[in-house]
Amino acid sequence: MISFQNVTKNFGSINALEDITFEVKDGEFVFSILKLILHEILADSGKVLFDDVDLSELSVKDIPRLRQQMGIVFQDFKVLPERTVSENVEVALAVSDVPPDEWDKRVNHVLKLVGLDKRANLFPNQLSGGELQRVSLARALVINPKIILADEPTGNLDWKTAGGIMELLEKVNKEGKTIIMATHHEGIIKHAKHRTIKLDDGKIIKT
Amino acid sequence: MSIHTKTAVDSIKRSPFQAISAIFVLGLTFFVATMVAILVFATDKTLTYFETRPQIISFLKDEATPELISALQNKLSSNSRIKNVKYVSKVEALEIYKKATSDNPLLAELVSPSIFPASLEFSVTDLKLAEEVITDVKTEGIVADVGFTANIGGEKSLSDVVGRLKSISTYVRIGGITFVAILGASSFLVLLVIISMRMTTRKNEIEILSLIGATPAFIRSPIVLEAVIYSIIGVLSGWTLALILWLYASPSVISYFGQIPVIPRDPILFFFLFATILGVELLLGVIISLTGSLLAVSRSVKKAR
Repeated sequence: MISFQNVTKNFGSINALEDITFEVKDGEFVFSILKLILHEILADSGKVLFDDVDLSELSVKDIPRLRQQMGIVFQDFKVLPERTVSENVEVALAVSDVPPDEWDKRVNHVLKLVGLDKRANLFPNQLSGGELQRVSLARALVINPKIILADEPTGNLDWKTAGGIMELLEKVNKEGKTIIMATHHEGIIKHAKHRTIKLDDGKIIKT
Repeated sequence: MSIHTKTAVDSIKRSPFQAISAIFVLGLTFFVATMVAILVFATDKTLTYFETRPQIISFLKDEATPELISALQNKLSSNSRIKNVKYVSKVEALEIYKKATSDNPLLAELVSPSIFPASLEFSVTDLKLAEEVITDVKTEGIVADVGFTANIGGEKSLSDVVGRLKSISTYVRIGGITFVAILGASSFLVLLVIISMRMTTRKNEIEILSLIGATPAFIRSPIVLEAVIYSIIGVLSGWTLALILWLYASPSVISYFGQIPVIPRDPILFFFLFATILGVELLLGVIISLTGSLLAVSRSVKKAR
């Protein structure tokens, strides 16, 4: 599904990635970095392939279509503060051109899945950090993406809440969703029962 | 309500003072635009009235037979210096007299059609030709006398009246269009500033939407819609205010200008004129809001990508 082929990325003198090669198949749960996959940045050399399409060859107008195939969970949640929980989830459906008559059913389903069905009409400032991350996850899941990219999803959460989010991700992964997650959280890495790619100074040191 | 409309309405509700200032400036622009449009219409109508009204009246002798009158009418019509030839019978002349003296019906009762001469009224293609045309017409056997309407108004000649009206019409057009253009440019800038401020406050939202796969069109839609809502409300408020003022003033204006049709007397034509102005203003409003908002949005969306 996703493959990195000899990818290098430098930010000035800092080597973020150096000659990285790995592949993620359907249903896997690994840790990696995500900006290259999201096409937020481009590799200096090498190829990032998504469904055999070289992302560096995508035109600007194709980027939204690429991102619509991915559910994204952010470290800082990135929920829309002036929209309710259900509206935050609906936005993803609107962005992906899902017909509005399907919205209620799909939103209710994912909110139940992440345990926020009773908080659908609350605004983000009425929710805890863990709940905000669940909103972010619900928004990622509602479009039924090919892959979920989780960028430090537990970075802003206490250990107990982080555990809850990880359980949810495990649950989603067991339903067959591919998840790529980036984290610095050693505890999570130690408990991970999934494939781990460990990077140090831009190089893969464990896979 | 679509997600874009809801976002636009929510945005307006969140910053009511920005919305009010945008609507106020647009309302003022389109109020002035409506007033200028009506003034241009009025000066055009006045000019046309004076240009097309019969300038020369040849009063016919009582013994003029219908055949002779018809022959003279044909002769005048075929003259390249003459246009709009119209025969006014004695009865029609009495009707004109009665209309002119309608405030004193007793005057009309004292006269009969026989005392009014029949006449042939016509205009000249160029007022400079009036004098020689009058001289020629006076030589016709059935013509008793020739009158020149410019003498009635107290001006030296009708060309003075028309010339003055043309100047006024030009000043109204140039002055009005310049004023409306300045106000239009101000509206455009105000919209640009307000939409740019909106983009700044929505920077995070735009970034999030972009990351979850929103197309630039999706991101732009509520912001452009918001600008269009401002312009539509602005156009409607400015136009409505101008309409109310003209509805209030039209009886006095019509009575003051008398025969000169500065504004339509028929209510249907009056509202048709205003509806036409509204249509044009809505189009202009949408163009201003679309260009202003798209210009403001384009940079921000590019940055978010």
